Amino acid sequence: MKFSATKEKILEGLQQVQNVVSTRTTLPILSNVLLQAKEGTVNLTTTDLDVGVRGGFEANVDKAGATTLPARRLFTIIRELPSSEISVEVDGKNAASIRSGQSFFKILGLPEEEFPPLPKFENAKVVTMRQKDLRDGLRKTAYAISTDETRYVLNGVLFSFKENKLMLVATDGRRLAMVDIELEFPRSHEADIIVPTKAVTELQRLLTDDGDVKISVGTGQIAFDLNNTLLVSKLIEGNYPNYKQVIPSEAKERVTLERETFLNSLRRVSLLASDKSNSIKLNFSKNNIEITANTPEVGEARESLPVVYKGRDFSIAFNPEFLMAPLRNLAEDEIFFDLIDEMSPGVLKIQTPFLYVLMPMRVSA
Amino acid sequence: MDERCKALWEKLSAALKPQVSTDTYKRWFSAVELTKATEDSLTFRVPNNIYQFWIESNHMAALQSAITSAVGAPRSVQFFSSTDSDNENDFGTPEAQKSYRSSSKATGLGLGLNPRNTFESFVVGPNNQIAHAASLAVAQAPARTYNPLFVYGGVGLGKTHLMQAIGQYVWAKKKTSRVMYLSSELFINEFIDAIQHNTLVKFRKRYRQADLLLIDDIQFLGGKERSQEEFFHTFNTLFDGHKQIVLSSDRPASEIANLEHRLVSRFEWGLTAELQPPDIETRLAILRKKARALQIKLHDDVYQFLALRIRSNVRRLEGALMRVASFASLSGKELTQETIEHLLKDILLEERRQTVTIEQIQRKVAEHFDVRLADMTSKRRPASIAFPRQVAMYLARELTKASLNEIGDAFGGRDHGTVLHACKLVKKRIKEQDNIRQTVSFIDGALQR
Repeated sequence: MKFSATKEKILEGLQQVQNVVSTRTTLPILSNVLLQAKEGTVNLTTTDLDVGVRGGFEANVDKAGATTLPARRLFTIIRELPSSEISVEVDGKNAASIRSGQSFFKILGLPEEEFPPLPKFENAKVVTMRQKDLRDGLRKTAYAISTDETRYVLNGVLFSFKENKLMLVATDGRRLAMVDIELEFPRSHEADIIVPTKAVTELQRLLTDDGDVKISVGTGQIAFDLNNTLLVSKLIEGNYPNYKQVIPSEAKERVTLERETFLNSLRRVSLLASDKSNSIKLNFSKNNIEITANTPEVGEARESLPVVYKGRDFSIAFNPEFLMAPLRNLAEDEIFFDLIDEMSPGVLKIQTPFLYVLMPMRVSA
Repeated sequence: MDERCKALWEKLSAALKPQVSTDTYKRWFSAVELTKATEDSLTFRVPNNIYQFWIESNHMAALQSAITSAVGAPRSVQFFSSTDSDNENDFGTPEAQKSYRSSSKATGLGLGLNPRNTFESFVVGPNNQIAHAASLAVAQAPARTYNPLFVYGGVGLGKTHLMQAIGQYVWAKKKTSRVMYLSSELFINEFIDAIQHNTLVKFRKRYRQADLLLIDDIQFLGGKERSQEEFFHTFNTLFDGHKQIVLSSDRPASEIANLEHRLVSRFEWGLTAELQPPDIETRLAILRKKARALQIKLHDDVYQFLALRIRSNVRRLEGALMRVASFASLSGKELTQETIEHLLKDILLEERRQTVTIEQIQRKVAEHFDVRLADMTSKRRPASIAFPRQVAMYLARELTKASLNEIGDAFGGRDHGTVLHACKLVKKRIKEQDNIRQTVSFIDGALQR
């Protein structure tokens, strides 16, 4: 195998796939990237057996062929090379010679046959949607994924294909984020699947603003085809909890807030929320919200936010991190905050179908 | 839901309602059923796993305080969802389910004995040889050789296991024998109940007719004067009637605070056997046995690692094994040392905390208060030295497993009363003075790093 390409092209290709490679793995082949050169492109594939990514870059291929090379090492070498033109030649024993300007590197790889093939998707249910829609949806939900490994069904985002809608849901038991995306697909394609966190993170990196993504759902696995890159992942087995149970039926009070103003106030006040109790209080009174944080032996912070509010006076406390997470990830200028009372969950909404349910913390006194 | 659970749940929900909003109650608790209530745990059935997740994350504090006000003491809470049967892995650890099932199919004992705690499942090592041999002798010939048998040792070293094994052995051999197994706390509660309802005669009859009386955690009798007196008479009646008595405690009888001398001397009458933390070989054997019982297969290195790192407590050892095994089976990932370390980081941290020695404590305290290390053991006692010394004693009591006497010896041959006084004093001052609390917790933190 022999090819040459520009440094930028190769780096770009490697960056897309190298995150999947886990640093500590029991199978040496999994720290390698599979290179397949043919007709003007070199395909790159990495996998950790749970998630796999295939990408590629344009190159002048002099001799087709395939091999695997240590991904991290290859990436660091390419990044440091002095000149922009790089040529790579691999001999029969999977040793790659990399030349660029005055530099020469030789790194040893493993044969292509040892690399685990990405799963095949036959008879899979295929749905196509805009990349932008999926990216936005994941951005609005992924931060609420649970990291508690004992609740493994929550370690991912629920993709619920139902009634010409794709619903994305993530929760960790204290908060829940949910997005609806309008989408057309046949009745037979309705399904509830859980895509694990790692795949979601990678997917968010790969998705762009243009073009479509083709989603293929097979048994126990899923593939996202983004034209020039492909991500496949195992699905989390099990039933996602009945999230609808969490959503409060009606709200008593609604305030409309400017997202950024609210976020900035929260960020400032939360500087004085203690690590231990980690709560900030929102005190609602006529046309005003007072945000306070208070840590014994450290100090306190207070900030007022004028709003249109005509309801009764009351206070409610939240974990500031949990309240700021959706505000950071939404793009809308205006958000609605629905509340019932100090013990019931608060709900953040925007103009489009999105919902964030957040449990209040107990207010002492 | 049987009648008792139903009544208890009604009491519980009444206590719960004011603590959560009406909507929350209707949404999360109206569909919950209490299916099982034991001495130390309550099992709730929930419609599906979102109830468990949400209640655990958000309403545990309210639920616990409702439990406390309904039954008088906190209980451990377990959930299982009705959909579990068709989706085993959907919930909790396999262990939790197993224990639920095996106990619900109780083996006919109904004595509060766990059928898994038998002599066969007890792993014998040099640390517990004597206790095991004595227990077996007692089980084979009750009230002949060692009466009473007094077993003591730290948390999770197998006291309860041995006692229950004796109970089951005796009961299995002779189904008509009256085996009574209970914790001293239950004894006290029933006694108080009996006083309240004027049923002392019934209470006495019940206990004084036992052929084998097993009382766990006898140290809780300390300070309960009337209970001690009642127990004293029960003890004498049984002993004179040649009935076997087996007691367990977390410390030697002589070290139980506020225990009457006549009881102490009686406890030391028969055989006293100590359970010590297992050595590494025994720990390995325990892990393998447990793994076989649970049908877990793990790499040898994993057992080695667990046995090496978790030294102090068998229960914790088994918990770590369960955690690693369930992680392995759920994630299907290879277990590397890093993943295990990550998985068990809280346990390993706890472990490390227990390897603090008295000498380290003295050194750290001396350094912090800027006194000489020699002052820790010297006879001098100006306040500038005495107080740091008391803090060091207090920390030694809290952080090490040394007995009062051992601590006293380490501080220049002081007697245990001095140490006890120091601990009380420091505890009191921690409560009253913020700066002292901060100092002590700072040293504590520094020691555990």
